Amino acid sequence: MPKAQFIDPEKKRKRGELKFSPIPVNSYAKTIEEERENFSDDDLKRIYHDMAIIREFETMLNMVKTTGKYNGIAYNHPGPAHLSIGQEAAAVGMAYLLDKDDFIFGSHRSHGEILAKGLSAIHKLETKELEQVMEHFFGGAIYGIIKKSFKGSIPRLAVKFLLYGTLAEIFARETGFNKGLGGSMHAFFTPFGVYPNNAIVGGSGDIAVGAALFKKVNRKRGMVVANIGDASMACGPVWEGISFATMDQFHQLWEGDQKGGLPLIINIMNNQYGMGGQTCGETMGYEIAARIGAGVNRDQMHAERVDGYNPLAVIDAYRRKKKVLEEKRGPVLLDVLTYRYSGHSPSDASSYRSKEEVEAWEKQDSIHVFGEELVSAKVATTEELKEMKQEIRDTMLEIFKLAIDDEISPRMDLASEPNAIEQLMLSNGSVEKFDDREVEVKHPMKDNPRVIQITKKERYAYDKNNKPFSGMKQFQLRDGIFEAVIDRFYKDPTLIAYGEENRDWGGAFAVYRGLTEALPYHRLFNASISEGAIAGTAIGYAMCGGRVIPEIMYCDFLGRSGDEVFNQLPKWQAMSGNMIKMPVVLRVSVGSKYGAQHSQDWTSLVAHIPGLKVCFPATPYDAKGLMNSALQGTDPVVYFESQRIYDVGERFVKEGVPEGYYEIPFGEPDIKKQGEDITILTVGATLYRVMEATEILSEKYNMSAEVIDARSLVPFNYEPVIESVKKTGKMLITGDASSRGSFLNDFASNITALAFDHLDAPPVVVGSRNWITPAYELENEFFPQPSWIIDAIHEKIVPLKGHKPVGNFTDAEQIRRGKLGV
Amino acid sequence: MATPVLLPRQGQSVESCIITRFYVKPGDQVSIDAPLFAYETDKASFEETAKEEGTILTWFFEEGDEVPVLTNVGVIGKAGESYEEFRPEITDDGGEKESPSQPGDAKQDHAEPESEQPTREPVREGSTKIFISPRARNLAAKAGTDIHQIKGSGPGGRIIEADVRKSMEQQPVMLNPSDGKPLTASKETGSSNQAAYAYPDPSNVVYDNDSKIVPLTNIRKRIANAMHVSLQNSAQITHHLSADARRILELRRQVKAAQREGYEHNITLNDMVCSAVIRVLKNHPAANAHFLGESTRVFNKVHLGFAVDTERGLMVPTVKNADDLSIGGLSHQLKALAEASRTGNVNPDLLSAAEASFTVSNLGNYGVEMFTPVINLPQVAILGVNTILPRPKDLGNGTYGFVPHMGLSLTYDHRALDGGEATRFLKDIATEIENLELNI
Repeated sequence: MPKAQFIDPEKKRKRGELKFSPIPVNSYAKTIEEERENFSDDDLKRIYHDMAIIREFETMLNMVKTTGKYNGIAYNHPGPAHLSIGQEAAAVGMAYLLDKDDFIFGSHRSHGEILAKGLSAIHKLETKELEQVMEHFFGGAIYGIIKKSFKGSIPRLAVKFLLYGTLAEIFARETGFNKGLGGSMHAFFTPFGVYPNNAIVGGSGDIAVGAALFKKVNRKRGMVVANIGDASMACGPVWEGISFATMDQFHQLWEGDQKGGLPLIINIMNNQYGMGGQTCGETMGYEIAARIGAGVNRDQMHAERVDGYNPLAVIDAYRRKKKVLEEKRGPVLLDVLTYRYSGHSPSDASSYRSKEEVEAWEKQDSIHVFGEELVSAKVATTEELKEMKQEIRDTMLEIFKLAIDDEISPRMDLASEPNAIEQLMLSNGSVEKFDDREVEVKHPMKDNPRVIQITKKERYAYDKNNKPFSGMKQFQLRDGIFEAVIDRFYKDPTLIAYGEENRDWGGAFAVYRGLTEALPYHRLFNASISEGAIAGTAIGYAMCGGRVIPEIMYCDFLGRSGDEVFNQLPKWQAMSGNMIKMPVVLRVSVGSKYGAQHSQDWTSLVAHIPGLKVCFPATPYDAKGLMNSALQGTDPVVYFESQRIYDVGERFVKEGVPEGYYEIPFGEPDIKKQGEDITILTVGATLYRVMEATEILSEKYNMSAEVIDARSLVPFNYEPVIESVKKTGKMLITGDASSRGSFLNDFASNITALAFDHLDAPPVVVGSRNWITPAYELENEFFPQPSWIIDAIHEKIVPLKGHKPVGNFTDAEQIRRGKLGV
Repeated sequence: MATPVLLPRQGQSVESCIITRFYVKPGDQVSIDAPLFAYETDKASFEETAKEEGTILTWFFEEGDEVPVLTNVGVIGKAGESYEEFRPEITDDGGEKESPSQPGDAKQDHAEPESEQPTREPVREGSTKIFISPRARNLAAKAGTDIHQIKGSGPGGRIIEADVRKSMEQQPVMLNPSDGKPLTASKETGSSNQAAYAYPDPSNVVYDNDSKIVPLTNIRKRIANAMHVSLQNSAQITHHLSADARRILELRRQVKAAQREGYEHNITLNDMVCSAVIRVLKNHPAANAHFLGESTRVFNKVHLGFAVDTERGLMVPTVKNADDLSIGGLSHQLKALAEASRTGNVNPDLLSAAEASFTVSNLGNYGVEMFTPVINLPQVAILGVNTILPRPKDLGNGTYGFVPHMGLSLTYDHRALDGGEATRFLKDIATEIENLELNI
């Protein structure tokens, strides 16, 4: 909400009419003869060759899936194989002009795109660079296999390298491009500009936008293509990604050379089916998918439909659209019409379409027709094409034999290397910056108004007489986050941050106040209110090599970014064999006072998903130290904050929050208060209610509690907790998440298992009720209170002399609530 | 008809026993009262005899197995009769079958004593189920506190750590003399864990056949622990003096004479000494007591423990309310309990150190002239009785003669008693012995 943009009621309320430009449909009309000036004979033959190689590759997979053999050699592939037989021209046309600096993202049906883009990149790479890529990838493991089995020029070996790496990946071999951890639906190879393909329909719809954002912000050459299906146009993340990609601010607010649109093509591989659902006539209403561009921005995304059965038509479109992107007028939407003869998957009997329909498309088969045209234009002879095909078949058979050979292409041996996958889950790197260039900032950090303001604050909450300073005087938790964030902005030029109200407003909770003054638009901006795109674009940005802090405001909005946070963010480091790093710090704020959809603590949901680090600091010292660690790291971190405590001062570290840089390692719980009689483990803002409870325990019941702040949920070092329990024998675990299915129970079960012999009672979990969060005035009945903690101790751990419980923590009540599901 | 052989319950607190030996094997004929098998608790050993005549059809357990009381150990019947219906369910759960004395264990480097498991009291389904936290259970095991005597104050009556600590406070605090810290039976200290010491491998050529590892019996372990704990955790000092024995030797002659006239009790010198001790204890309540660390428990009645040497080891049964008994009654009870201890049929409840308020250990029969008995904690003192020796005595007018004297060795806990008090007590015993009046 920039003040520069005046919303004038006079203009806004004026009568008028919205006009759309015509959207071209299959406008390409050149013959091969006419194209001879753009393509040499070799170029045209290469197009044919690339299509034929994809066809044979997928025919091989189809034979394996449906008959259990290829060329008489038996092999069982139980995993997926979503084939795109029939779509070759669309894939090769898309990739033809692209080189290794152009990134493509795909779907579950992307074998053809991987091969097309890989072949195109190989063709354009210098021999020396090509060899280097192969020699450096996984220490030359794949290249070694290829060199041993084949002879020939480096580009020819590179083709075999590409085919083998992809096939071995599909067959889950350790020698695959992603160590067999990605598989058919996820295979990719970034050195050729092939970025992750995605088994979630539309999954690439926002990730690719983030990749384009990376190119733009970091001034990297090349474009980004999101290959997504026609059916995915109904998916939220795709719409969110498109909305994000077409934000006005790129043209209207971003400054200098950053002004202008994203270098992005949303490339709809329109094979006209989403599984069995027909997108035109049944499951969508757009009739022609290109129509969508008209609804998005003034440029209508330069949308058009292209005949994807003619490779030259697709290349022509890419040649024109590339220019649009270079002029910073992107993004572009292409509706590339195509058709798959194969079913959705080999188990698909195609009961949703007629034989006649498939046959009609087969008659116009792109490879066949293009071959005929080459012959008639005398670019190649029938014999030549036949030979080419035979050579491809021979190569494919050799590649197939190599890929199924358990000696040459073993699977990951988890029996002898049980930690093989474990060590790929997190990268645990420590990287100050992802680029050495100068950081783009507007003034020295010491001149920043917020930085100046903070210098006047008290970095420990209490004065010499142990009296608290006034709230305004105290260095607050939000200041701790700010200091870590601004510090990194001045260190890492790739760091960007965005989310709702991140600029001008300074974030809804004033954490970023002062950052607007320090940073240009392209490093800090307001995103559209679409948490899916905020998280998804950050994933794409990080994947390409940048550091990013997306912020989704309320924790409750995690649901809106569910696929991104659960299926994408945690997966790509491991699924890439740890080639990809994911330095994303997702800021999530747990609310209060705002009822059922703005007050939930969902730490448990993300802690459940392998591949994420999760922390929830509750003090300024911890907030700054953990944010520093998160921003120095290379792993995805979900960084929880609580709106209850943005204004707390530092009450625990007597020396005060250090002004300089320091890191708090992830996974180390912190003893906030020493005690002897009971251990209380707390998550997040509940810490302060626990501290109140400990005073009551001490004064009224002569019980000395040890308070441990979990700080991180994943990873988590149980040792300090076990040590404490050995001493006290008693354990209470509390946090603001609804107790059913809460991570608090995970703590409880692990502690029970690890310290059973030392326990004097089972660890007791005090979480929130399993209700909606009621209005602020009723919150004390919902969130754990000091009295709850005392009641629970009295009822379940050790009866407290003279205590009269106010709440009901009896076994009978626990059973009753369980029965009712509340 | 086939009849199961039940493992009897010996004492209220006994939940399970270890079968130590089978005297007969399946297929053997037995007649009524024939010994079937031996078994032991951690306090005593017992023998079970046949209640029926017939053939042993099966044993459900092996020697060394720990068996819950009132479980079928085997079946007696006619050869060929089925017995499966008597098989206790417990044998199916695997845990019970796995005994450390299985064949093959002998090859292991460290012969684990077979009683590692029973250090935790088994808690089983049934009327005596105990709810206790793991922490409290471990603490009780280390401190040697009987959890059956503890009332739980935790949720639902669960015994929690605080309850065990409270119970421990009522027992002597066991301090390590070297560092003054409370002593626990840790791996490093305490005789109860000595079997864990890594002796040379018996198969070693040098040491081959030179020694063998003999696991301690439960009773041995118990004695070992009690003695060690006693010496480590109290301030023991022994005073010796002797009593003119002419009076009790005269009484002994009178008893023998009376017996010839038909008197039923064979009142021994030991009975007389015990009688004297009981009388004197009534005037020295501080010696008729338990030392509890922060307090002492002083008894009104005299519960007299006395040491009995048995084949299985030292046992100290208690004559409850000994001060109510006539000399005849006392004599009878002392003999009956000693006999029961020797045959292993004594009620285990009477063997607990906490049962007695004072103990007498008589080694006079063996010719021992002087010794330092070890206090049976938490008792405050123990009297050792030595052999009668002639000692020179001033008979008056400068005349010295040899007079038979009985040696008395009083070991007392200096934490509870001071030397003066102990000496007066011991002197009173001697005086009582010298002037004993018996109603024969």
